[in-house]
Parts: sequence; structure tokens; C-alpha cells
Amino acid sequence: MTDAPILSASPILSASSVTHAFGGLIAVDGVSISVQRGEIFGLIGPNGAGKTTLFNIMTGLIAPNRGKLFFEGRETTRLPPYRIAERGIGRTFQNIRLFGELSVLENVMTGRHTRTHSNVLSGVLGLPAARAEERATRQQAMQLIDRIGLTDRAHVRAGSLPYGDQRRLEIVRALALEPRLLLLDEPAAGMNTREKQALSDFIRQVRNQYHLTIVIIEHHMPLVMGLCDRIAVMNFGQLIAIGVPAAVQRNPAVIEAYLGSRKFVDR
Amino acid sequence: MADFLSTYGSLIVSMILAAMLGLSLYLPLMSGQLSLAGAGFYALGGYIAAILSTKVFTTYSGDLYPVSYVLIEMIVAGIAAGALAVIVGILALRLRGVYLALATIAFVEILRVLSLNIDITGGAIGIFGVPQPFGTPIEYLWIALPMLLLSMLFVYRLERVRTGRALIAIREDELAAESIGINPTYHKVLAFMLSAILAGCVGALSAHVLNTWNARQGTFDAAIGHLAFVLVGGSRTFAGPVVGGLALTLLPEALRQLAGINGLPPWLAQFLREGRLILYGLLIVLGAINFPQGLITPAMFKHHRAAKDPTT
Ligand SMILES: Nc1ncnc2c1ncn2[C@@H]1O[C@H](COP(=O)(O)OP(=O)(O)O)[C@@H](O)[C@H]1O
Ligand SMILES: [Mg+2]
Repeated sequence: MTDAPILSASPILSASSVTHAFGGLIAVDGVSISVQRGEIFGLIGPNGAGKTTLFNIMTGLIAPNRGKLFFEGRETTRLPPYRIAERGIGRTFQNIRLFGELSVLENVMTGRHTRTHSNVLSGVLGLPAARAEERATRQQAMQLIDRIGLTDRAHVRAGSLPYGDQRRLEIVRALALEPRLLLLDEPAAGMNTREKQALSDFIRQVRNQYHLTIVIIEHHMPLVMGLCDRIAVMNFGQLIAIGVPAAVQRNPAVIEAYLGSRKFVDR
Repeated sequence: MADFLSTYGSLIVSMILAAMLGLSLYLPLMSGQLSLAGAGFYALGGYIAAILSTKVFTTYSGDLYPVSYVLIEMIVAGIAAGALAVIVGILALRLRGVYLALATIAFVEILRVLSLNIDITGGAIGIFGVPQPFGTPIEYLWIALPMLLLSMLFVYRLERVRTGRALIAIREDELAAESIGINPTYHKVLAFMLSAILAGCVGALSAHVLNTWNARQGTFDAAIGHLAFVLVGGSRTFAGPVVGGLALTLLPEALRQLAGINGLPPWLAQFLREGRLILYGLLIVLGAINFPQGLITPAMFKHHRAAKDPTT
């Protein structure tokens, strides 16, 4: 297995001149980016730079004031979030958003919603097709849960898991929908160095195994530099740099943006 | 036993009907929607049964009204309520929380005012002489009990399949649910429709049980009563509203019985008879303070699981 990304000519995701303001505050300001199929794409920038807002626009949670979005060549600009998920974009949230009262297993099974089809009647009546689908869903969910080592806690309330497990569970719930593009919003937040390394390995593994494209927002520079094929840097809503990690690291505009935050230079 | 059943037949049947009305409110709650529209669909179902049985299905042999006709009325009522629910749901379910509750109360009021002002529902007088399919009230259990068991089984199964998980996911976190491909509007309307079908069927049966139907059935008060079933019983498992409906229907009757005990001081007897609503309200408030999740909580069914896991 190789770590080299399988790059192709047509981007899997592209944003063109996307702009969005909250009242007077321009959170995302004319951003154009193309993400190539198969790459791990880092999105960095100081707090408040507009990274999460850009994710929310890409997944339909926020309709941009201006600009267009394309996924696999088809426009997604005004689609509702559930349609964008159906097309194959999965995501996690900066503030973990699990279904707290549902079990670990149920959370992941719910993630397979778009890949399953039984309706309310066939499900409640337990018709053979619905039963078979339910069994398969359970099995597939258990396999994913096994990958994050939560097999023996599959029936525990998701809300009762420790923080790190909740983060991993949220990733796995997004993987359950078999996305072709996965957006991770600060997945390593609150983890220690060892956990961060393990998460980084996990992300690379799933990318290779499922031939995914991943966009990751992350503050921890060693993780970003080690994991990402390309990096885009945002500051005050604008894209200020994009390129391979080594080049971005030397970019004067980027160093300027990070001055004072020390994160970028020190760690 | 026979004595008991003939004395308390009506009470037992109303308890079962109330349990179903509690379940009907629980269905939209599964997707996080507090709807009080059930009382309106209940009223609609009752009118449909009352009109069909007094004006349409008037020829039958024998003294008793055929049970099969009652079942047909229930099906018609369920379909009508379900269809109306889809329309109302699409309009109202974009509202959230207390705004949705208010809109559904408005819906109940609109239906009530309509029924007071059109001829077919008998105006303010309502419809009398809804025919009886059974000789004694307790026999209504033949329909009501299987109906309750079936609707409980329905909800029990629903919570364990794809559609039910989607509903609960919406309740737990609507944005997260949408981001994994769940269409919230579709599922909310679906839960609203299922709730209306159940309330409509219960209304149809109630018209026969009560022998009459008028604009005092299915009012705002009734809607608050259904809400109390859920608040007292608990809203996180379907057993909650069922127990709430049974208990809160039994309670006023039990108090009335207590008042009849010989040797009570007259003031206490009078209080038990006439201060019922005060006690009722007090119990609901105390219950809400001491059991904020209701009397019946999911944890009660999960001891086994919880025991296995030290962190829960
Ligand atoms: N829903 C919102 N309403 C108003 N302002 C918002 C909202 N979401 C984000 N913002 C503002 O937009 C800017 C960008 O936020 P965000 O995208 O969360 O940044 P980042 O993820 O890069 O830290 C911030 O100034 C933030 O306060
Ligand atoms: Mg953010």
C-alpha cells in the first residue's frame, strides 16, 4: 500500500468566489478552491478565519450570499444538506454532534440512512427484505465500530463515551454513509499527542482503504504537515495561500497571519 | 368480577383510549416535535364516525350496530386524519418548539369553531344517538385493547428500525441528522401523519363509546390533557405516555371513590369530589419537579445494559 494520493485532472470539489457575511461580518470572502480526488487537503488559519463557515457552505447548512459550489462536476450550491450527503459528502463537526441518547451502534447505523431503503411499513412489519437490510446494516456498522475499538461498548449511550471516543465515533458515523469526500472539522481537538498521532494514522488508513478525498481543518501543525498533500490557509475570510506543506510553511503572508498566535512557528 | 367489570367498564375503556391518545402525542415527539394537534384529529375522527353511523350506515339487522361498520368508520377516520395531517404538517412543521405547539393549538381551535358552525356536525348541539355495537361498555375492550397493543407494538418496532432511528436522530440533533442524509421535513410529516391516524381512529371509536359527539370533544383542554399524559408518564419511552394516560384517567375516578368512603370529614369528602382538578394539577406540578423525565424512563428498561458498563 502506498501513501501517494491518486490525483486526477478533474477536481472532486470546487468552490468559486464563495462569499458569505453574517450581518456586517464577512466570514468567507471570495474563496475559490479546488480539491483533487484522492488527496488529503488541509484547511488552516487562525480562529475566526472562516474555515467552519466554509464547511457549512460546502455541506448546505449555510447558503452562500455569492459564489458557486460543485461536487464531482455537478452544482450543489442551493441543495439542502441531506441532498448533499446523499451525493456523497460526509462531515464531522467542530463541536461534536452525536445522537447522545442513541447507542454507539445506533449512531453508526443511522449513518447508513442514505445507503438503506426500507420504509416505515416494511420496517415495522419486519418484512424479509427489511430484516435482511437491518441485519446487513448492523453488521456493517459493527465493522466500523470495531475499527475504532468500541466493539464492547456498542450498546452504550453515545453521549456517555469519553471525549476522544466521541470524536472517533463521529468520524465513523460519517464513514457509514460511504462518502467520497469527507470533511473533518478539528477532529484532533482535545486529544493528546499520542491520540493525535493515532488519529492521523487512522485518517490516512481510511483514505487509502475507501479511496476517499479528505478535507481537514486542524490547528496542530505537525499533524497537518505530516498528513496533508496540500494546504490552504485562510485569514479574515480570505484564502491567503495554497500549496504543498513545505511551500505554505515558508509563505510570508502565512507567517504574518500566524504571528502572535505562535502555533504555526513553535510546534 | 362481573360486577366490577360492569361498574368500571366505561372507566377501563376510557383509560385505554387515553393511553392511545398519549401514544399519539409521543409519535411526533420522537422527532422532537411538540404537537397538540392530536385533539383536533381525535375530534375529526369522532365526527366522521358519528356522521357515518347516524346518517350513512343506518340500515342493519338486529339491535346492535355491526362491529364491522365501526371498523370501517375507524379506517375512514384514520385515512381522513392522516391526509389532513400531511397538509397541515407541511405548512406547520417549519415552525419549531413552542411556535409549533401554538400553531397546532390554533389548528384544534379552527376545527372546533368550524364544527360549531356547520350543519353536518350538528352545530353547538352536536350529534346524538351514536349507535352501540355492544350491549355493555366493557365489551368495547374487544376493539380498544387490541388497538392499544397493536399501536404499542408499532411504536416499539418503529424505534428499532431505520425510520424510527431517523426520527430520534432528528430529535437528538437535527443538523447532524441532515448532514448524514436524513430529510427532516419528510420524517416530521411522517411522524405527524402517524400520530393523526391513531388519534383519528381513537376519536371514531370514542364517538361510539360516548354515544354522542360534539364540539366539547377534542378541545384545547383535551390537548392539554394529552400533554399531561406524556409529561407525567415520561416522553423518552413510549411506555411513558401509555402509563400516563392510564393513570391520569384513573386518578379522578379514584379520588371520587375515596370521597365516598363513610366517615370522612365532610370538608375532605367535598374537597376530594370538587377539588379534583386542584389535586390533579398539584400532582402534575410535583411530578414534574421530582420526576422531570416522567415516571417511566428508558433507564428502567436498561438495567441489564447499564450493569455491564461501569461508566454509564
Ligand atoms: N452563525 C453565525 N452567526 C454570526 N457570526 C458567525 C456565525 N458563525 C460564524 N460566525 C463568525 O464568522 C467568523 C468565522 O467563523 P468560523 O467559520 O467559525 O471560523 P473558524 O472555523 O475559522 O474558526 C467568526 O468571526 C465568527 O464569529
Ligand atoms: Mg471552526
